[in-house]
Amino acid sequence: MSALDPSPWHGQAYSTKRHGTSIANCDSEPVQTPGCVQAHGVLIVLRPETLVISQVSENALALLGHDASSLLGQTVGVVVGVPGEERLRTFLAIEPVECNPLYVFSVPGAEGQLFDVTVHSNGGVLLLEFETTGRLASAAGATGVGAEPDYDALMRKSVVRMQGARSLQQFCDITVDEVRAMTGFDRVMVYKFHPDGHGEVLAESRRDGLAPWLGLHYPAADIPPPAREVFKQIWLRPTPDVGGALAEMIPLADPATGKPLVMTHCVLRGASIMYTEYLQNMKVSAGLTMSIRQDGELWGLIACHHYAGPKFVSYPVRTACEFVAQVASLQRRSAEMREQLESRLRLEEVHRQLLSAASQVGELADLFDGVPTLADAVPCGGVALFHAGRWWRIGETPADVDLDPLAAWVALRPEFLAATSPIYATDHLSANYPAGAAISSVASGLLAVPLARTQRSLVLWFRPETLRTIRWAGHPDDKPSVPGPNGLRLTPRASFALFQESVRGRSAPWLSFELDAIARLRVAMLELVVERTEKLAAFNADLLRSNEDLDTFAYVASHDLKEPLRGIHKYAHQLQVRSDITDEEAQRQLGGLMRLTLRMDGLLDSLLHLSRVGRVLLELAPNDLNLVVADAIEMVGSRLDASRPEFVLPRPLPSIECDWVRCREIYVNLLSNALKYSDQTDKRIEIGWIGAVEDHPRPLCPPGALGQTIFYVRDNGIGIAARHYDQVFKMFRRLHTRDAYGGGSGTGLAIVKKLVERHRGQIWIESEPGAGSTFYFTLSGEARQP
Amino acid sequence: MTDTHHGPVIVVEDSDEDWDTVCQAARQGGYEARLQRVLDGDACISLLHRSSGRDRAAQAPMPALVILDLNLPGTDGREVIVAIKGDTQLRALPVVVCTTSSNPRDIAFCYAAGVNAFHVKPVDHDHHLQVVRDLLDYWLAKARLPERAAVP
Repeated sequence: MSALDPSPWHGQAYSTKRHGTSIANCDSEPVQTPGCVQAHGVLIVLRPETLVISQVSENALALLGHDASSLLGQTVGVVVGVPGEERLRTFLAIEPVECNPLYVFSVPGAEGQLFDVTVHSNGGVLLLEFETTGRLASAAGATGVGAEPDYDALMRKSVVRMQGARSLQQFCDITVDEVRAMTGFDRVMVYKFHPDGHGEVLAESRRDGLAPWLGLHYPAADIPPPAREVFKQIWLRPTPDVGGALAEMIPLADPATGKPLVMTHCVLRGASIMYTEYLQNMKVSAGLTMSIRQDGELWGLIACHHYAGPKFVSYPVRTACEFVAQVASLQRRSAEMREQLESRLRLEEVHRQLLSAASQVGELADLFDGVPTLADAVPCGGVALFHAGRWWRIGETPADVDLDPLAAWVALRPEFLAATSPIYATDHLSANYPAGAAISSVASGLLAVPLARTQRSLVLWFRPETLRTIRWAGHPDDKPSVPGPNGLRLTPRASFALFQESVRGRSAPWLSFELDAIARLRVAMLELVVERTEKLAAFNADLLRSNEDLDTFAYVASHDLKEPLRGIHKYAHQLQVRSDITDEEAQRQLGGLMRLTLRMDGLLDSLLHLSRVGRVLLELAPNDLNLVVADAIEMVGSRLDASRPEFVLPRPLPSIECDWVRCREIYVNLLSNALKYSDQTDKRIEIGWIGAVEDHPRPLCPPGALGQTIFYVRDNGIGIAARHYDQVFKMFRRLHTRDAYGGGSGTGLAIVKKLVERHRGQIWIESEPGAGSTFYFTLSGEARQP
Repeated sequence: MTDTHHGPVIVVEDSDEDWDTVCQAARQGGYEARLQRVLDGDACISLLHRSSGRDRAAQAPMPALVILDLNLPGTDGREVIVAIKGDTQLRALPVVVCTTSSNPRDIAFCYAAGVNAFHVKPVDHDHHLQVVRDLLDYWLAKARLPERAAVP
């Protein structure tokens, strides 16, 4: 936020000391340009070319013995001496100080205390910071850093320990231990930001006697966006005296440009009133915060708290801490990855087994049998696959009736429709899918991937609701507005009393490596589906071709057989009519020869007909079966002689999608068959049907015909023994002697079977010798009630 | 009944037995002398080219009728139909198919290509004789045929 904005400080340069309590919304506080420093140190701003002082913090007199306003316009030598100024020039000539505070030297202050001096440049000015060390100049020598522990060695030891961590938790535990050992703070925590912005204490190292904060959650508002923004730029932020005063810059803005001073990288940068009040509400007297970053984003913080008054951290220790923060940022990720590696390898092994099992049989449904199953592909409560027009489920999943609308809803998620790696994952389904509340016990977590774009085919993994309890430090909504000296303003919350919140409708979260593994599994399954589909298509094409070949063969063969047959018949005929062959026996034999050729001709005709039935295209249309049957009865009736059969329709037949001519042929064959194989004088033939959903016995009904409209033709004829049920449908297969029951080629029922199958239906028999037969068949088309 | 045309009857038939049946039927109707047998499709087409004048090296009388089998060695009967019905000089010549095939596709094809009748040869000898005798009677005695099967 710039001071030029219309703001509560009315266009003047901003000063936390002056305006900090007027902030109504800490989301807009100009934390990077506070116009103040923490009063334990002095900030002197220099022109980089001349080292002339342009701004000084107002406490220069108290700490360094120089009146602030008297310093303005003078060179820095007035404060650090001529050798100091020379040393600074030399230092600046060789060191990269842009946004990078570096220690230059130490100088004695007004009362003999030693000040560490660091310098960095930012926004076209040099910022020279004088920090108290808590040591006396006489004890440490005029300019030396003094006898401090070997922080390099400490740091190296810390880094080696951090690198050895096997898990994220172990890594965080090591980090807080090392930082506390190095700095001596009362409490050191690793504080992780969750995706929604709220924080959680992942690891803690604390002085004996302090209450543990490990596992506590803090609302997102505790660390407002401007503060987070700063932590993306700096590694370390000391607040050595939380209750300490602020010293304002003189003047507040750069006298040459009128711009506020950017103090982002100043260790002395004045803290916001909100922040110090927040720390004081937690009884914190000194703090040090380090950032843990990942890809430019703030992953978390290492927060150090002290409770027994101010705590100054020397420059070398800060440098070590800064390095630890950088190492933590790099190593945290690898610790997390190491932790995931084992799980990932385990998942991938499961996926490998799944795919190898499935590819052997080539069916996705096989992923539901055996060990492992699709439910082992990712830790979950259950899995549902929609494939080949139905659900396959394993484990705890919603019922089919709940899966259908859920699948329809998921199919429209943008993540699910993404061109690359389409995957939808949530650990809080009911938050996005209102109907999910009813199934949250098994399906709070959902991970969905599509298997095909053209048809509905998808896998849903479910995770049950885990009743998680979040332990908040204070009530998360506690952000009271209290009247301050400048009216109502927001204050940091004062209550950190434990507040427990039960989280409902949520599952364990899907981890990124799990999503990655599922995305890979999906691709492999997709290949399997495609491969399977291709195989099936090729197989069907082969089958179709061989069926066609067979029909063509039968057709051509019957034709070619007819020509010689005609010749044989002709010669037999000619012999028979010859006047010199009068031998009765010879005449009888010639007659037999001719009869056989004619019989063979009949067989060839049947074969031709059958092969044509296999090849001809059906003309499917809704047909009224009552008309079809009436037509068939007339055709059969015209062949009848003395016997007066009774055709009975118990109720009108429905309409159904079928080929009129072929369907009539089915009835003609069944009716004439029923008439033919009967010894009864009163032949009775019943033509009826059983509705798809009617409560009615379906004797010997094959499973494929369940749920379909069944048609039947029932006679009171001679019946068929059960062992012959299959035989009657075979080509040229007769159960009786050639001339019994009017002879016949034995092809009628074979043709009926083929016609029924051409209608994608099935045909079967129920019969008892002597008690009549019933031929049942289906036509697969949609039946309409009469 | 008058004989309307005195041209020959071309019978395209590779089977000796069937040729014999045709002869027998023709004998019964008194047409035997007019029968002229060719054994395959190519022979039929070259003979007709002599009739139409397309082949100027030799001349042949324009036939009254062609009786054609479909399944022929070499050039198929279907090709012969297309050659005749696609030739302006021959298009008016009546072509009667007499074949073993009862394939609806063959029947449809032949009529679409312009044949004048399609008969299936029965295996039963008497039936076969009857079929041929009837068609000879019909085309040679009952139907009136163009004087010269060429379009002016």
